[in-house]
Amino acid sequence: MSLAAEAFVSQIAAAEPWPENATLYQPLKEDQILLSDSASSLAVQTFLRMCGLPVLVSCRANAEYMSPSGKVPFIHVGNQVVSELGPIVQFTKAKGHALSDGLDDVQRAEMKAYMELVNNMLLTAELYIQWCDDYTATEISRPRYSNPYSWPLNHVLAYQKQWEIRRKMNAIGWSGKNLEQVYEDVSQCCQALSQRLGTQPYFFNKQPTELDALVFGHLFTILTTQLTSDELAEKVKSYSNLLSFCHRIEQTYFKEHEREGQFGSSRHSKSSLP
Amino acid sequence: MAEPMELQLLCWGGDWDLPSVHTDSLVVLAYAKFAGAKLAVKSVDWTWRTITASVPQLYYEGSTVTEPTQILNFLRKQSFNADYELTAKQGADTMAYIALLEEKLLPALLHTFWVDAENYANLTRPWFTSHSPFPLNFFVPGRQASLALSRILLTKAESPLLNITEVEGKIYSEAKECLNLLSHRLGNFRFFFGDTPTSLDAFVFGHIAPLIKAPLPSGQLQKHLNQLDNLCQFCNTILKNYFTDATTEKRLDCSPTATHDPVDANLQKLTQLVNKESNLIEKMDDNLRSSPQHRPHRHEAKPSAMASERSST
Repeated sequence: MSLAAEAFVSQIAAAEPWPENATLYQPLKEDQILLSDSASSLAVQTFLRMCGLPVLVSCRANAEYMSPSGKVPFIHVGNQVVSELGPIVQFTKAKGHALSDGLDDVQRAEMKAYMELVNNMLLTAELYIQWCDDYTATEISRPRYSNPYSWPLNHVLAYQKQWEIRRKMNAIGWSGKNLEQVYEDVSQCCQALSQRLGTQPYFFNKQPTELDALVFGHLFTILTTQLTSDELAEKVKSYSNLLSFCHRIEQTYFKEHEREGQFGSSRHSKSSLP
Repeated sequence: MAEPMELQLLCWGGDWDLPSVHTDSLVVLAYAKFAGAKLAVKSVDWTWRTITASVPQLYYEGSTVTEPTQILNFLRKQSFNADYELTAKQGADTMAYIALLEEKLLPALLHTFWVDAENYANLTRPWFTSHSPFPLNFFVPGRQASLALSRILLTKAESPLLNITEVEGKIYSEAKECLNLLSHRLGNFRFFFGDTPTSLDAFVFGHIAPLIKAPLPSGQLQKHLNQLDNLCQFCNTILKNYFTDATTEKRLDCSPTATHDPVDANLQKLTQLVNKESNLIEKMDDNLRSSPQHRPHRHEAKPSAMASERSST
Protein backbone atom coordinates (compact mmCIF):
# COMPACT_ATOMS: atom_id res chain seq x y z
CA MET A 1 0.00 0.00 0.00
CA SER A 2 1.29 3.47 -0.66
CA LEU A 3 1.77 5.86 2.23
CA ALA A 4 -1.33 7.89 1.45
CA ALA A 5 -3.49 4.78 1.36
CA GLU A 6 -2.04 3.63 4.67
CA ALA A 7 -2.83 6.95 6.33
CA PHE A 8 -6.36 6.78 4.93
CA VAL A 9 -6.86 3.26 6.23
CA SER A 10 -5.71 4.14 9.72
CA GLN A 11 -8.05 7.10 9.78
CA ILE A 12 -10.96 4.87 8.90
CA ALA A 13 -9.74 2.27 11.34
CA ALA A 14 -9.76 4.73 14.17
CA ALA A 15 -13.41 5.45 13.60
CA GLU A 16 -14.82 2.01 14.42
CA PRO A 17 -14.31 -0.29 17.38
CA TRP A 18 -13.08 -3.85 16.98
CA PRO A 19 -15.98 -5.99 15.68
CA GLU A 20 -16.91 -9.43 16.93
CA ASN A 21 -16.56 -11.15 13.60
CA ALA A 22 -12.94 -10.30 12.82
CA THR A 23 -11.38 -13.16 10.91
CA LEU A 24 -7.84 -14.32 10.39
CA TYR A 25 -7.10 -16.23 7.21
CA GLN A 26 -4.30 -18.72 6.79
CA PRO A 27 -3.63 -21.72 4.54
CA LEU A 28 -5.10 -25.10 5.43
CA LYS A 29 -3.82 -26.25 8.75
CA GLU A 30 -3.72 -29.96 8.25
CA ASP A 31 -2.37 -30.30 4.76
CA GLN A 32 -1.09 -27.11 3.30
CA ILE A 33 0.49 -24.69 5.71
CA LEU A 34 4.26 -24.60 5.95
CA LEU A 35 6.55 -23.84 8.87
CA SER A 36 7.21 -20.18 8.09
CA ASP A 37 3.57 -19.31 7.41
CA SER A 38 2.45 -21.20 10.47
CA ALA A 39 4.93 -19.25 12.58
CA SER A 40 3.75 -15.90 11.24
CA SER A 41 0.13 -16.86 11.73
CA LEU A 42 0.69 -17.98 15.29
CA ALA A 43 2.55 -14.73 16.03
CA VAL A 44 -0.44 -12.68 14.87
CA GLN A 45 -2.90 -14.82 16.82
CA THR A 46 -0.80 -14.46 19.95
CA PHE A 47 -0.56 -10.71 19.52
CA LEU A 48 -4.33 -10.37 19.16
CA ARG A 49 -4.91 -12.53 22.21
CA MET A 50 -2.45 -10.44 24.18
CA CYS A 51 -4.46 -7.37 23.22
CA GLY A 52 -7.63 -9.16 24.23
CA LEU A 53 -9.17 -8.88 20.77
CA PRO A 54 -11.32 -11.78 19.56
CA VAL A 55 -10.55 -13.23 16.17
CA LEU A 56 -11.82 -16.29 14.31
CA VAL A 57 -9.29 -18.39 12.48
CA SER A 58 -10.40 -19.47 9.05
CA CYS A 59 -8.34 -21.81 6.88
CA ARG A 60 -8.52 -21.34 3.15
CA ALA A 61 -6.53 -22.98 0.40
CA ASN A 62 -6.10 -19.73 -1.48
CA ALA A 63 -5.27 -17.55 1.53
CA GLU A 64 -2.00 -16.44 -0.03
CA TYR A 65 -3.79 -15.11 -3.09
CA MET A 66 -6.48 -13.36 -1.12
CA SER A 67 -3.92 -11.45 0.89
CA PRO A 68 -3.28 -7.85 -0.22
CA SER A 69 0.49 -8.25 -0.02
CA GLY A 70 0.78 -11.89 -1.00
CA LYS A 71 1.81 -12.94 2.47
CA VAL A 72 -0.14 -14.78 5.11
CA PRO A 73 -1.70 -14.35 7.57
CA PHE A 74 -4.09 -11.52 7.01
CA ILE A 75 -7.04 -10.30 9.01
CA HIS A 76 -10.41 -9.14 7.78
CA VAL A 77 -11.81 -6.54 10.16
CA GLY A 78 -14.97 -4.64 9.33
CA ASN A 79 -14.34 -3.73 5.73
CA GLN A 80 -10.57 -3.63 5.84
CA VAL A 81 -7.99 -6.28 5.08
CA VAL A 82 -4.54 -6.05 6.64
CA SER A 83 -1.71 -8.55 6.26
CA GLU A 84 1.52 -9.25 8.13
CA LEU A 85 2.35 -8.53 11.74
CA GLY A 86 3.83 -5.04 11.24
CA PRO A 87 0.80 -3.47 9.54
CA ILE A 88 -1.55 -5.38 11.87
CA VAL A 89 0.18 -3.88 14.90
CA GLN A 90 -0.24 -0.41 13.42
CA PHE A 91 -3.86 -1.15 12.58
CA THR A 92 -4.71 -2.23 16.11
CA LYS A 93 -2.88 0.79 17.43
CA ALA A 94 -5.10 3.02 15.30
CA LYS A 95 -8.08 1.28 16.89
CA GLY A 96 -6.71 2.11 20.32
CA HIS A 97 -5.15 -1.19 21.42
CA ALA A 98 -1.40 -1.14 21.79
CA LEU A 99 1.02 -3.23 23.81
CA SER A 100 4.17 -1.16 23.48
CA ASP A 101 2.89 2.21 24.69
CA GLY A 102 4.65 1.93 28.01
CA LEU A 103 8.08 1.74 26.44
CA ASP A 104 10.33 4.75 26.13
CA ASP A 105 12.17 5.61 22.93
CA VAL A 106 15.30 3.59 23.60
CA GLN A 107 13.28 0.52 24.52
CA ARG A 108 11.12 0.90 21.47
CA ALA A 109 14.27 1.06 19.33
CA GLU A 110 15.46 -2.15 20.98
CA MET A 111 12.12 -3.84 20.44
CA LYS A 112 12.09 -2.99 16.75
CA ALA A 113 15.70 -4.11 16.41
CA TYR A 114 14.96 -7.49 17.99
CA MET A 115 11.88 -7.95 15.81
CA GLU A 116 14.06 -7.35 12.77
CA LEU A 117 16.58 -9.84 14.12
CA VAL A 118 13.88 -12.49 14.30
CA ASN A 119 12.66 -11.64 10.82
CA ASN A 120 16.12 -11.44 9.37
CA MET A 121 17.53 -14.61 10.90
CA LEU A 122 14.81 -16.94 12.07
CA LEU A 123 12.31 -16.38 9.30
CA THR A 124 14.97 -16.43 6.59
CA ALA A 125 16.44 -19.61 8.07
CA GLU A 126 12.98 -21.21 8.08
CA LEU A 127 12.48 -20.27 4.45
CA TYR A 128 15.93 -21.56 3.57
CA ILE A 129 15.37 -24.90 5.24
CA GLN A 130 11.98 -25.32 3.62
CA TRP A 131 12.86 -24.35 0.09
CA CYS A 132 16.61 -24.36 -0.52
CA ASP A 133 17.35 -27.68 1.17
CA ASP A 134 16.54 -30.17 -1.57
CA TYR A 135 15.52 -33.02 0.67
CA THR A 136 13.07 -30.98 2.73
CA ALA A 137 11.72 -29.27 -0.36
CA THR A 138 11.01 -32.55 -2.10
CA GLU A 139 9.63 -34.43 0.88
CA ILE A 140 7.66 -31.76 2.65
CA SER A 141 7.44 -28.28 1.19
CA ARG A 142 6.43 -28.91 -2.39
CA PRO A 143 3.85 -31.61 -1.69
CA ARG A 144 2.27 -29.60 1.11
CA TYR A 145 2.28 -26.26 -0.69
CA SER A 146 0.48 -27.61 -3.73
CA ASN A 147 -1.76 -30.05 -1.90
CA PRO A 148 -5.16 -28.49 -2.79
CA TYR A 149 -4.42 -28.34 -6.48
CA SER A 150 -4.59 -31.02 -9.13
CA TRP A 151 -1.99 -31.98 -11.67
CA PRO A 152 -0.33 -30.17 -13.46
CA LEU A 153 -1.07 -27.00 -11.50
CA ASN A 154 0.43 -28.38 -8.33
CA HIS A 155 3.81 -28.88 -9.95
CA VAL A 156 3.79 -25.46 -11.58
CA LEU A 157 2.86 -23.58 -8.41
CA ALA A 158 5.30 -25.47 -6.21
CA TYR A 159 8.24 -24.95 -8.50
CA GLN A 160 7.32 -21.31 -9.03
CA LYS A 161 7.31 -20.66 -5.30
CA GLN A 162 10.57 -22.51 -4.87
CA TRP A 163 12.21 -20.51 -7.65
CA GLU A 164 10.95 -17.27 -6.14
CA ILE A 165 12.32 -18.08 -2.70
CA ARG A 166 15.65 -19.17 -4.12
CA ARG A 167 15.95 -15.91 -6.04
CA LYS A 168 15.35 -14.01 -2.83
CA MET A 169 17.99 -16.04 -0.98
CA ASN A 170 20.39 -15.30 -3.78
CA ALA A 171 19.72 -11.57 -3.57
CA ILE A 172 20.43 -11.36 0.14
CA GLY A 173 23.47 -13.58 -0.03
CA TRP A 174 22.13 -16.69 1.70
CA SER A 175 22.45 -18.97 -1.29
CA GLY A 176 26.14 -19.51 -0.57
CA LYS A 177 25.39 -20.92 2.86
CA ASN A 178 25.06 -24.60 3.57
CA LEU A 179 22.64 -26.15 6.04
CA GLU A 180 25.17 -26.28 8.86
CA GLN A 181 25.81 -22.55 8.65
CA VAL A 182 22.08 -21.88 8.68
CA TYR A 183 21.65 -23.97 11.83
CA GLU A 184 24.56 -22.07 13.34
CA ASP A 185 22.84 -18.76 12.53
CA VAL A 186 19.64 -19.98 14.16
CA SER A 187 21.62 -20.96 17.21
CA GLN A 188 23.23 -17.52 17.44
CA CYS A 189 19.89 -15.83 17.04
CA CYS A 190 18.42 -17.96 19.83
CA GLN A 191 21.41 -17.18 21.99
CA ALA A 192 20.89 -13.45 21.46
CA LEU A 193 17.19 -13.79 22.33
CA SER A 194 17.99 -15.92 25.34
CA GLN A 195 20.50 -13.40 26.65
CA ARG A 196 18.09 -10.54 26.13
CA LEU A 197 15.30 -12.41 27.91
CA GLY A 198 17.48 -13.46 30.84
CA THR A 199 15.27 -14.41 33.78
CA GLN A 200 12.47 -11.97 33.03
CA PRO A 201 8.96 -13.22 32.26
CA TYR A 202 8.73 -11.18 29.07
CA PHE A 203 11.26 -9.31 26.97
CA PHE A 204 10.32 -5.97 28.46
CA ASN A 205 9.82 -7.20 31.97
CA LYS A 206 6.25 -7.27 33.15
CA GLN A 207 4.23 -6.53 30.06
CA PRO A 208 4.15 -8.62 26.90
CA THR A 209 4.75 -6.76 23.66
CA GLU A 210 4.60 -7.64 19.98
CA LEU A 211 8.17 -8.88 20.25
CA ASP A 212 7.03 -11.57 22.68
CA ALA A 213 4.25 -12.55 20.29
CA LEU A 214 6.64 -12.80 17.36
CA VAL A 215 9.27 -14.80 19.22
CA PHE A 216 6.64 -17.14 20.65
CA GLY A 217 5.11 -17.69 17.22
CA HIS A 218 8.39 -18.73 15.68
CA LEU A 219 9.83 -20.75 18.54
CA PHE A 220 6.64 -22.64 19.32
CA THR A 221 6.19 -23.56 15.68
CA ILE A 222 9.77 -24.72 15.38
CA LEU A 223 9.43 -26.85 18.50
CA THR A 224 6.17 -28.48 17.50
CA THR A 225 6.70 -29.08 13.80
CA GLN A 226 8.17 -32.24 12.46
CA LEU A 227 10.66 -31.70 9.70
CA THR A 228 12.97 -34.18 8.05
CA SER A 229 15.41 -33.77 10.91
CA ASP A 230 15.05 -32.53 14.46
CA GLU A 231 18.14 -30.40 14.44
CA LEU A 232 16.32 -27.07 14.29
CA ALA A 233 14.19 -27.95 17.29
CA GLU A 234 17.25 -29.17 19.14
CA LYS A 235 18.97 -25.83 18.63
CA VAL A 236 16.05 -24.03 20.23
CA LYS A 237 15.68 -26.57 23.05
CA SER A 238 19.21 -25.97 24.23
CA TYR A 239 18.11 -22.59 25.67
CA SER A 240 16.01 -23.37 28.70
CA ASN A 241 14.74 -19.88 29.37
CA LEU A 242 13.29 -19.74 25.86
CA LEU A 243 11.51 -23.06 26.49
CA SER A 244 10.00 -21.83 29.72
CA PHE A 245 9.04 -18.57 27.97
CA CYS A 246 7.10 -20.56 25.36
CA HIS A 247 5.43 -22.71 28.04
CA ARG A 248 4.41 -19.63 29.97
CA ILE A 249 2.80 -17.90 27.00
CA GLU A 250 1.06 -21.09 25.94
CA GLN A 251 -0.35 -21.53 29.44
CA THR A 252 -1.41 -17.91 29.78
CA TYR A 253 -2.97 -17.22 26.44
CA PHE A 254 -3.94 -20.50 24.84
CA LYS A 255 -4.78 -23.13 27.42
CA GLU A 256 -7.40 -21.07 29.20
CA HIS A 257 -9.52 -20.79 26.08
CA GLU A 258 -9.80 -24.56 25.58
CA ARG A 259 -10.03 -24.56 21.86
CA GLU A 260 -9.71 -28.11 20.64
CA GLY A 261 -9.26 -27.49 16.97
CA GLN A 262 -6.60 -24.92 17.53
CA PHE A 263 -3.72 -27.17 18.38
CA GLY A 264 -5.08 -30.51 17.26
CA SER A 265 -2.48 -32.98 16.22
CA SER A 266 -1.78 -33.48 12.57
CA ARG A 267 0.61 -35.30 10.36
CA HIS A 268 2.81 -32.29 10.35
CA SER A 269 2.67 -30.81 13.81
CA LYS A 270 2.64 -32.23 17.27
CA SER A 271 -0.02 -31.03 19.67
CA SER A 272 1.91 -29.39 22.45
CA LEU A 273 5.38 -28.74 23.67
CA PRO A 274 7.47 -31.78 24.62
CA MET B 1 54.84 -5.69 19.31
CA ALA B 2 54.64 -9.17 17.75
CA GLU B 3 55.75 -9.87 14.21
CA PRO B 4 53.81 -7.89 11.61
CA MET B 5 50.59 -9.49 10.44
CA GLU B 6 50.16 -9.92 6.74
CA LEU B 7 46.51 -8.95 6.60
CA GLN B 8 45.57 -7.65 3.23
CA LEU B 9 42.24 -6.08 2.49
CA LEU B 10 40.78 -5.53 -0.94
CA CYS B 11 38.28 -2.71 -1.04
CA TRP B 12 36.96 0.14 -3.10
CA GLY B 13 38.86 3.39 -3.02
CA GLY B 14 37.96 6.54 -1.12
CA ASP B 15 36.50 9.90 -1.94
CA TRP B 16 34.47 12.66 -0.29
CA ASP B 17 36.69 12.57 2.86
CA LEU B 18 36.05 8.87 3.35
CA PRO B 19 38.61 6.06 3.19
CA SER B 20 36.22 4.10 1.01
CA VAL B 21 32.89 4.84 -0.66
CA HIS B 22 31.63 1.29 -0.33
CA THR B 23 29.57 0.49 2.76
CA ASP B 24 30.91 -2.99 3.46
CA SER B 25 34.52 -1.93 2.96
CA LEU B 26 34.02 0.98 5.36
CA VAL B 27 32.63 -1.38 7.99
CA VAL B 28 35.74 -3.57 7.81
CA LEU B 29 38.14 -0.61 7.75
CA ALA B 30 36.47 0.99 10.75
CA TYR B 31 36.47 -2.24 12.75
CA ALA B 32 40.13 -2.82 11.99
CA LYS B 33 40.95 0.64 13.31
CA PHE B 34 38.89 0.10 16.45
CA ALA B 35 40.46 -3.27 17.14
CA GLY B 36 43.96 -2.11 16.33
CA ALA B 37 44.53 -4.49 13.44
CA LYS B 38 47.03 -3.33 10.88
CA LEU B 39 45.65 -3.90 7.42
CA ALA B 40 47.50 -3.50 4.17
CA VAL B 41 44.73 -1.91 2.14
CA LYS B 42 44.70 -2.53 -1.56
CA SER B 43 42.05 -0.78 -3.55
CA VAL B 44 40.41 -2.52 -6.45
CA ASP B 45 40.01 0.72 -8.40
CA TRP B 46 41.36 0.58 -11.90
CA THR B 47 41.97 -3.16 -11.73
CA TRP B 48 40.11 -6.06 -13.23
CA ARG B 49 39.08 -7.06 -9.76
CA THR B 50 36.27 -4.53 -9.89
CA ILE B 51 34.23 -7.12 -11.67
CA THR B 52 35.83 -10.38 -10.63
CA ALA B 53 36.25 -9.99 -6.89
CA SER B 54 33.57 -9.68 -4.28
CA VAL B 55 34.59 -6.71 -2.23
CA PRO B 56 35.63 -6.51 0.59
CA GLN B 57 37.99 -9.43 0.75
CA LEU B 58 40.59 -10.25 3.37
CA TYR B 59 43.72 -12.27 2.64
CA TYR B 60 45.69 -13.83 5.42
CA GLU B 61 48.35 -16.50 4.90
CA GLY B 62 46.58 -18.06 1.98
CA SER B 63 43.00 -18.01 3.24
CA THR B 64 40.40 -15.65 1.86
CA VAL B 65 37.40 -14.30 3.73
CA THR B 66 34.56 -12.25 2.24
CA GLU B 67 31.44 -10.60 3.68
CA PRO B 68 31.81 -8.12 6.54
CA THR B 69 30.36 -10.39 9.26
CA GLN B 70 32.69 -13.23 8.30
CA ILE B 71 35.68 -10.89 8.16
CA LEU B 72 34.85 -9.51 11.60
CA ASN B 73 34.55 -13.04 12.99
CA PHE B 74 37.90 -13.89 11.45
CA LEU B 75 39.56 -10.82 12.97
CA ARG B 76 38.07 -11.69 16.35
CA LYS B 77 39.58 -15.16 16.13
CA GLN B 78 42.94 -13.54 15.42
CA SER B 79 42.44 -11.77 18.75
CA PHE B 80 41.57 -8.37 17.28
CA ASN B 81 38.44 -8.03 19.32
CA ALA B 82 36.77 -4.67 19.79
CA ASP B 83 33.80 -6.30 21.54
CA TYR B 84 35.82 -7.74 24.37
CA GLU B 85 34.29 -5.61 27.07
CA LEU B 86 30.67 -6.02 26.06
CA THR B 87 28.27 -7.93 28.28
CA ALA B 88 26.24 -10.79 26.84
CA LYS B 89 23.16 -8.60 26.56
CA GLN B 90 25.11 -5.93 24.71
CA GLY B 91 26.39 -8.55 22.32
CA ALA B 92 22.79 -9.61 21.68
CA ASP B 93 21.82 -5.96 21.16
CA THR B 94 24.63 -5.66 18.60
CA MET B 95 23.18 -8.52 16.55
CA ALA B 96 19.70 -7.03 16.75
CA TYR B 97 20.76 -3.55 15.66
CA ILE B 98 22.83 -4.92 12.78
CA ALA B 99 19.73 -6.82 11.62
CA LEU B 100 17.73 -3.58 11.89
CA LEU B 101 20.28 -1.75 9.73
CA GLU B 102 20.22 -4.46 7.11
CA GLU B 103 16.46 -4.75 6.92
CA LYS B 104 15.39 -1.12 7.19
CA LEU B 105 18.24 1.14 6.21
CA LEU B 106 20.10 -0.77 3.54
CA PRO B 107 17.28 -0.90 0.94
CA ALA B 108 16.90 2.87 1.09
CA LEU B 109 20.67 3.37 0.85
CA LEU B 110 20.81 1.13 -2.18
CA HIS B 111 17.92 3.04 -3.69
CA THR B 112 19.50 6.44 -3.01
CA PHE B 113 22.81 5.56 -4.61
CA TRP B 114 21.91 3.07 -7.32
CA VAL B 115 18.27 3.28 -8.31
CA ASP B 116 17.34 6.93 -7.95
CA ALA B 117 17.82 8.23 -11.49
CA GLU B 118 19.31 11.61 -10.68
CA ASN B 119 21.83 10.35 -8.13
CA TYR B 120 22.83 7.40 -10.25
CA ALA B 121 23.36 9.44 -13.40
CA ASN B 122 25.15 12.36 -11.76
CA LEU B 123 27.14 10.81 -8.96
CA THR B 124 27.35 7.06 -8.61
CA ARG B 125 27.80 6.00 -12.21
CA PRO B 126 30.43 8.64 -13.06
CA TRP B 127 32.38 7.78 -9.92
CA PHE B 128 32.42 4.06 -10.52
CA THR B 129 33.01 4.48 -14.22
CA SER B 130 36.03 6.68 -13.59
CA HIS B 131 37.39 4.19 -11.08
CA SER B 132 37.16 1.14 -13.29
CA PRO B 133 39.55 0.20 -16.10
CA PHE B 134 38.53 0.13 -19.72
CA PRO B 135 36.43 -1.76 -20.91
CA LEU B 136 34.95 -2.66 -17.54
CA ASN B 137 33.73 0.87 -16.99
CA PHE B 138 30.81 0.05 -19.26
CA PHE B 139 29.71 -2.90 -17.18
CA VAL B 140 30.56 -2.37 -13.54
CA PRO B 141 28.08 0.38 -12.58
CA GLY B 142 25.25 -1.23 -14.53
CA ARG B 143 25.79 -4.57 -12.89
CA GLN B 144 25.87 -3.08 -9.41
CA ALA B 145 22.72 -1.11 -10.14
CA SER B 146 20.80 -4.12 -11.34
CA LEU B 147 21.95 -6.12 -8.30
CA ALA B 148 20.76 -3.34 -6.02
CA LEU B 149 17.40 -3.08 -7.77
CA SER B 150 16.78 -6.80 -7.66
CA ARG B 151 17.66 -6.92 -3.98
CA ILE B 152 15.19 -4.17 -3.15
CA LEU B 153 12.43 -5.70 -5.24
CA LEU B 154 12.86 -9.23 -4.02
CA THR B 155 12.93 -8.35 -0.37
CA LYS B 156 10.41 -5.54 -0.21
CA ALA B 157 8.00 -5.70 -3.12
CA GLU B 158 5.02 -7.97 -3.55
CA SER B 159 5.78 -10.76 -5.90
CA PRO B 160 5.14 -11.56 -8.68
CA LEU B 161 4.22 -8.06 -9.78
CA LEU B 162 7.48 -6.40 -8.85
CA ASN B 163 7.19 -2.66 -9.16
CA ILE B 164 9.67 -0.22 -7.74
CA THR B 165 7.36 2.77 -7.39
CA GLU B 166 5.13 1.00 -4.90
CA VAL B 167 7.94 0.28 -2.51
CA GLU B 168 9.81 3.58 -2.76
CA GLY B 169 7.64 5.38 -0.24
CA LYS B 170 7.70 2.45 2.13
CA ILE B 171 11.47 1.94 2.12
CA TYR B 172 12.21 5.61 2.66
CA SER B 173 9.80 5.92 5.55
CA GLU B 174 11.25 2.78 7.12
CA ALA B 175 14.77 4.12 6.66
CA LYS B 176 13.90 7.44 8.30
CA GLU B 177 12.34 5.57 11.18
CA CYS B 178 15.47 3.45 11.48
CA LEU B 179 17.68 6.54 11.59
CA ASN B 180 15.45 8.04 14.29
CA LEU B 181 15.71 4.82 16.31
CA LEU B 182 19.49 4.84 16.00
CA SER B 183 19.58 8.46 17.09
CA HIS B 184 17.43 7.69 20.14
CA ARG B 185 19.64 4.77 21.02
CA LEU B 186 22.87 6.78 20.65
CA GLY B 187 21.56 9.67 22.72
CA ASN B 188 24.38 11.83 23.99
CA PHE B 189 27.01 9.14 24.17
CA ARG B 190 30.11 9.13 22.03
CA PHE B 191 29.65 5.56 20.89
CA PHE B 192 26.83 3.07 21.17
CA PHE B 193 28.25 1.20 24.15
CA GLY B 194 30.03 3.86 26.16
CA ASP B 195 33.38 5.41 25.38
CA THR B 196 35.06 2.77 23.26
CA PRO B 197 33.87 1.86 19.78
CA THR B 198 32.69 -1.66 18.99
CA SER B 199 31.56 -3.62 15.97
CA LEU B 200 28.11 -2.02 16.09
CA ASP B 201 29.75 1.39 15.75
CA ALA B 202 31.66 0.06 12.74
CA PHE B 203 28.46 -1.14 11.08
CA VAL B 204 26.54 2.06 11.74
CA PHE B 205 29.48 4.16 10.58
CA GLY B 206 29.83 2.14 7.39
CA HIS B 207 26.17 2.65 6.53
CA ILE B 208 25.70 6.31 7.36
CA ALA B 209 29.07 7.80 6.44
CA PRO B 210 28.56 7.64 2.64
CA LEU B 211 25.12 9.09 3.14
CA ILE B 212 26.47 12.05 5.09
CA LYS B 213 29.49 12.79 2.96
CA ALA B 214 28.44 12.08 -0.61
CA PRO B 215 27.38 15.13 -2.62
CA LEU B 216 24.00 13.75 -3.66
CA PRO B 217 21.91 15.83 -6.07
CA SER B 218 18.60 14.53 -4.73
CA GLY B 219 18.93 13.26 -1.22
CA GLN B 220 15.81 13.31 0.92
CA LEU B 221 17.31 10.70 3.20
CA GLN B 222 20.48 12.76 3.46
CA LYS B 223 18.48 15.81 4.51
CA HIS B 224 16.75 13.75 7.16
CA LEU B 225 20.05 12.42 8.43
CA ASN B 226 21.60 15.88 8.59
CA GLN B 227 18.91 16.88 11.03
CA LEU B 228 20.00 14.15 13.42
CA ASP B 229 22.94 15.94 14.98
CA ASN B 230 24.21 13.17 17.19
CA LEU B 231 24.60 10.77 14.29
CA CYS B 232 26.52 13.35 12.23
CA GLN B 233 28.69 14.08 15.26
CA PHE B 234 29.28 10.35 15.75
CA CYS B 235 30.39 9.97 12.15
CA ASN B 236 32.70 12.98 12.25
CA THR B 237 34.22 11.84 15.53
CA ILE B 238 35.17 8.50 14.04
CA LEU B 239 36.56 10.12 10.92
CA LYS B 240 38.63 12.62 12.87
CA ASN B 241 39.89 10.15 15.46
CA TYR B 242 40.59 7.12 13.36
CA PHE B 243 40.91 8.11 9.76
CA THR B 244 43.17 11.15 9.62
CA ASP B 245 46.82 10.74 8.54
CA ALA B 246 49.62 9.73 10.90
CA THR B 247 50.91 13.18 11.93
CA THR B 248 47.59 14.48 13.09
CA GLU B 249 46.65 11.06 14.52
CA LYS B 250 49.34 11.28 17.21
CA ARG B 251 48.06 14.64 18.33
CA LEU B 252 44.48 13.45 18.39
CA ASP B 253 45.13 10.23 20.28
CA CYS B 254 45.61 11.85 23.66
CA SER B 255 43.05 14.64 23.53
CA PRO B 256 39.38 13.86 24.05
CA THR B 257 38.33 17.16 22.54
CA ALA B 258 39.64 16.22 19.16
CA THR B 259 36.62 17.56 17.35
CA HIS B 260 37.53 21.15 18.15
CA ASP B 261 40.93 20.80 16.53
CA PRO B 262 41.18 23.86 14.25
CA VAL B 263 39.82 26.08 17.00
CA ASP B 264 42.29 24.63 19.48
CA ALA B 265 45.20 25.16 17.09
CA ASN B 266 44.44 28.87 16.81
CA LEU B 267 43.94 29.12 20.53
CA GLN B 268 47.27 27.43 21.15
CA LYS B 269 49.09 29.87 18.92
CA LEU B 270 47.41 32.78 20.60
CA THR B 271 48.26 31.37 24.01
CA GLN B 272 51.90 31.05 23.04
CA LEU B 273 51.99 34.64 21.83
CA VAL B 274 50.37 35.84 25.00
CA ASN B 275 52.80 33.80 27.09
CA LYS B 276 55.78 35.28 25.26
CA GLU B 277 54.43 38.75 25.76
CA SER B 278 53.85 38.14 29.44
CA ASN B 279 57.43 36.86 29.79
CA LEU B 280 58.71 40.10 28.30
CA ILE B 281 56.44 42.10 30.56
CA GLU B 282 57.74 40.14 33.54
CA LYS B 283 61.31 40.98 32.65
CA MET B 284 60.44 44.62 32.24
CA ASP B 285 58.58 44.44 35.48
CA ASP B 286 61.62 43.11 37.30
CA ASN B 287 63.62 46.02 36.07
CA LEU B 288 60.91 48.41 37.10
CA ARG B 289 60.45 46.75 40.50
CA SER B 290 64.00 47.38 41.41
CA SER B 291 63.24 51.09 41.20
CA PRO B 292 61.92 52.39 44.48
CA GLN B 293 58.85 54.44 43.45
CA HIS B 294 56.58 51.41 42.49
CA ARG B 295 54.42 49.69 45.10
CA PRO B 296 55.14 45.98 45.89
CA HIS B 297 51.54 44.61 45.48
CA ARG B 298 51.65 45.17 41.72
CA HIS B 299 54.13 42.28 41.64
CA GLU B 300 51.51 39.98 43.20
CA ALA B 301 48.75 41.10 40.86
CA LYS B 302 50.73 40.31 37.71
CA PRO B 303 51.44 36.56 38.27
CA SER B 304 47.84 35.86 39.29
CA ALA B 305 46.59 37.63 36.17
CA MET B 306 48.98 35.59 34.02
CA ALA B 307 47.99 32.35 35.81
CA SER B 308 44.30 33.01 35.24
CA GLU B 309 45.06 33.82 31.62
CA ARG B 310 46.85 30.50 31.17
CA SER B 311 44.07 28.50 32.82
CA SER B 312 41.37 30.10 30.68
CA THR B 313 43.10 29.13 27.45
